Amino acid sequence: MIRFSTKTVFEQGVFNLQRSQADVFRTQDQISTGRRVRTPSDDPVTAARALEVEQSRAISKQYQRNNDSAQAALSASENAISNAIALLQDVRTVAVNAGNGALSSNELKSLAAELRGRYQELLGIANSTDGNGLYLFSGYQGTTRPFSETTPGSVAYAGDQGSRLIRISASREIPSSDPGSDIFQRIKNGNGTFVTEAGEDNTGSGVIGPGTVSSPIAWDDDANPRDFTVRFHVDSTMIPPVTTYDIVDNLSGDSLLTGTAAAASGPYLRPYTEDGTIALRRQVPPDTNASDFDYGAEFTIKGSPATDDQFTIQASRNEDVFTTLYNLIETLESASSGAAANARLANGINTALSNFDRDIDNLLRVQVGIGVRLRESDDAYTSQEDLVGQYDETLSDLRDLDYAKAISDLARQQLTYEAAQKTFAQVQTLSLFQYI
Amino acid sequence: MSIFQIGVSGLNAAQAGLLVTSHNITNANRDGFHRQEAITETRVPMRTGAGFFGQGVAVETVRRAYSQFLDNALLQAETQASYLDTYGAQIRQIDNMLADPNAGLSPTLQAFFSGVQDVASNPSSAPSRQQLISLTQGLVARFQSFDARLSEMRTSVNRQLSDVTAEINTLSGEIANVNDQIIRLQGDPGKPPNDLLDQRDALLSELNKLVRVSTVGLSDGSINVFIGNGQTLVLGTKSFELAAGPSAENQQDYGLFYISGSNRIALSTDNLQGGTLGGLFDFRRQSLDPAQNQLGLVATVLAQTFNDQHELGMDLDGVLGEAFFDVPLANVIGNQANSGDAVLAADNTDVGALTGSDYRVQFAGGNWIVTRLSDNTSSSYATLPQTIDGVELSVVSGTVAAGDSFLVQPTRNGARDIDGLISDTAKIAAAVPIRAGADLDNTGKATISPGVVVDTDNAAFATAGALTPPILIRFTSATQYSIYDNTNSASPALIEGGIAYTPGVQNDVFPTAGSVDYGYRVSLTGAAATGDEFTVGYNSSGVSDNRNALLLSALQTANTVANGTANYQSAYTQLVSQVGNRARQIDVQSKAQDTLVTQTREAQQSLSGVNLDEEAANLIRFQQAYQASGKVLQIANSLFASILELQ
Repeated sequence: MIRFSTKTVFEQGVFNLQRSQADVFRTQDQISTGRRVRTPSDDPVTAARALEVEQSRAISKQYQRNNDSAQAALSASENAISNAIALLQDVRTVAVNAGNGALSSNELKSLAAELRGRYQELLGIANSTDGNGLYLFSGYQGTTRPFSETTPGSVAYAGDQGSRLIRISASREIPSSDPGSDIFQRIKNGNGTFVTEAGEDNTGSGVIGPGTVSSPIAWDDDANPRDFTVRFHVDSTMIPPVTTYDIVDNLSGDSLLTGTAAAASGPYLRPYTEDGTIALRRQVPPDTNASDFDYGAEFTIKGSPATDDQFTIQASRNEDVFTTLYNLIETLESASSGAAANARLANGINTALSNFDRDIDNLLRVQVGIGVRLRESDDAYTSQEDLVGQYDETLSDLRDLDYAKAISDLARQQLTYEAAQKTFAQVQTLSLFQYI
Repeated sequence: MSIFQIGVSGLNAAQAGLLVTSHNITNANRDGFHRQEAITETRVPMRTGAGFFGQGVAVETVRRAYSQFLDNALLQAETQASYLDTYGAQIRQIDNMLADPNAGLSPTLQAFFSGVQDVASNPSSAPSRQQLISLTQGLVARFQSFDARLSEMRTSVNRQLSDVTAEINTLSGEIANVNDQIIRLQGDPGKPPNDLLDQRDALLSELNKLVRVSTVGLSDGSINVFIGNGQTLVLGTKSFELAAGPSAENQQDYGLFYISGSNRIALSTDNLQGGTLGGLFDFRRQSLDPAQNQLGLVATVLAQTFNDQHELGMDLDGVLGEAFFDVPLANVIGNQANSGDAVLAADNTDVGALTGSDYRVQFAGGNWIVTRLSDNTSSSYATLPQTIDGVELSVVSGTVAAGDSFLVQPTRNGARDIDGLISDTAKIAAAVPIRAGADLDNTGKATISPGVVVDTDNAAFATAGALTPPILIRFTSATQYSIYDNTNSASPALIEGGIAYTPGVQNDVFPTAGSVDYGYRVSLTGAAATGDEFTVGYNSSGVSDNRNALLLSALQTANTVANGTANYQSAYTQLVSQVGNRARQIDVQSKAQDTLVTQTREAQQSLSGVNLDEEAANLIRFQQAYQASGKVLQIANSLFASILELQ
């Protein structure tokens, strides 16, 4: 038979009471904090996992903050570029009006004065700053004024081609700024492939159109010199006078039509018809060039060119918006009367119009790019929000208390504790000494 | 013999029984008390012609209910419980500290990198930069305060070791005293001084809770007490002293010394299992050291890797980035017993390879033996310097003698020594010092990458605020380009020409085929045209550039720790997980051990404890025996009287 020492019975009772009490308090503590895991030792795996998830959550939150910054920066750029587009569209309308031939030279000069104002306005837009006073379009050099006029009509870019990236998700960094050179400067003039230009000393009324590329492959061919002059000759001995033209390869000095050195004066091989297509392609007859050629470009000339009038066709160069606008202003200012002057005005306006189209295209391209990034940033923000929600859920699953279980646990533990208390008190009253 | 004598012997026996029972009752609640019993025996019978007549009863001895087996089992259980209690109490402090959101590293680490990203989003914003500096201070302060609390625990362990050894010395002294009394009182081994034995057992139990002991009983009643693997603590009536003090190997940590005469002999702490002492030593070795090392590892790697990237950047003033953090250094402690005068240096040359372990470097006459203490693996080297786990060990001065040893702690002080060095908002290097650009007149579609700097110690960055030389890349055909020194942009000087270019793939410009390398990388992609030009120059006034800040923020999730297996956060998580697991393990073991102690004590008390009901019954029994023996005397008396009446 096992004997119990009275001391053991007492100690055992107290030990059990303490253990029950500890259980009750622990559950009560869990309920009052709502946390199942209070210290890492409660559940080491969960505690470690929770730390990882917390970092992921903090990073997602940070991406959202980054998104806010990106949106602010992109919206500021977008706003400036919208203003620039509106301005250029206005200017284009002015140019179209100026070209309708109904305006006197004085009226044209007052239009030019108006455009000078727009020119300064455009310069202001290109030098826009954000809320912190930093230039939007100067690349990495936020404190450097990007565009300034060195000489009238010549605007220099002092920024660089850097673009600031902002991380909006674990796998994506989006540019939050665009360098000004890409927006206002790096724009091909003419039709984007080649540019047509009337000679300054032309005396006839010939007006050249911007032209089109009939074959991009032919134009891009390495054999293409991409520099041509169209020369006119008017034989006024004939009635009506016969206008002919030659196309000269400026690199070699040869006539395309003959394949030999260009003649100094006409008449030339190809006859000119007004508004007819002039193609940089062999046409036999009348061409006598033995070797076939096709440089993939064609254009039209209207009006009546005079003898020795010249038009050039060259590969497009980058021309900034300021130069285009300034050239238009100068064209309008120098307007005078007479067929040649009218042709000069028309040619100038034509050039300006095709360049403005290119400018607006480029600004739209940038604007669309910003719009896409804004939407991407929106999407990223939303998906980060979803992620944060998922992380919250995971954290809750990991650490938070199952109340139903905890409360039923507490009830059970309380019952045990109370029973232990009651029986302990009862057992302690049992003693033989009460009877002697 | 007479009835009287028999009656008296009965009275005496009953009285002895009552005495012992009262003694039991009064001592029922005393720890270490063993229930006593008066052992009686029948007196030698008287031989008569009619045979043997009993002579009554005699009290032979008073014996305690003692089982060496049960008492030893209890001692074993208790020393282990005390070990677990001590370990648990210590590790719970770290556990609680980790659970406290105001003490853990995680929130500040996350806040710090949020600050870096804010600077990346707004590189020239002074408030963002100021915020990062404040967050850096917060991070550093958190590392330091965390470390300070761990160091406090280290000091507290040292103090407890001193206290415990003092208590051990007191107890062993008392045991020797009790031994002395027992030897003098115990004439007849059959009549033991029970209460003194109880007293000694109680002392032994106390001692055993502090350090696991083994005992050997001697014939004179005394016991010898040993600790560890045989160091004598008590030898009969003589006790020996222990002392705690700075160990020869590591003067920051107390070791245990055995005082023998005027000698202090260091005791190996490995053999001290169980008890408070064992708990303290094991806690320090298994939990505190790794925790502090791991925290230091995070701090060291963070400081070094962040600095490395920061120094590749350019600040708001256009100057190359400086060190962002003060990088903690490895700690080397020479053994006090070293006879040579060599000074060993340890340099954390490759923080990515650090393990968080400590190392013992020993010169064994001709060979250096380096032992990684976390797993006790050794490697032998004929000469130093050697790099082991990212730590370069070298002798900086002096001569080493055989047997000299050094303790190398690469990351022990990491969390204590990390510090922020940047206080000027402009000094945060958010930009990259170079920028690349394409000429406006380019007709091709090739683009140049923004550029990455890999080495600012390159001569190209030797002149402040300039790239020497600035570079011009010019295409001589669609598939070939040349690199020029663009210092004089009017007539660039050729550096290397005829470099092949492949459209459609990424063409890395540096290092060139001719091994020109200026410490940065740019690449060209896309179809280029003859005459296209690209430039690379210094990023002067690049205040809105955030490229380096982006690279800095990417470090948060880069696996830079432990040979590319962990990032800062997961390295810290390892610490949390280690401590949590250990604390839980100790907690579970401790609960099991408590149950074992309870059960063992129950068994021991079942034999040796006092059951008051039993004693009450005994009281009645002995009272009745006494009354019965009195009756015997009364009868004897009446018998005698009846004889007197005959006259």
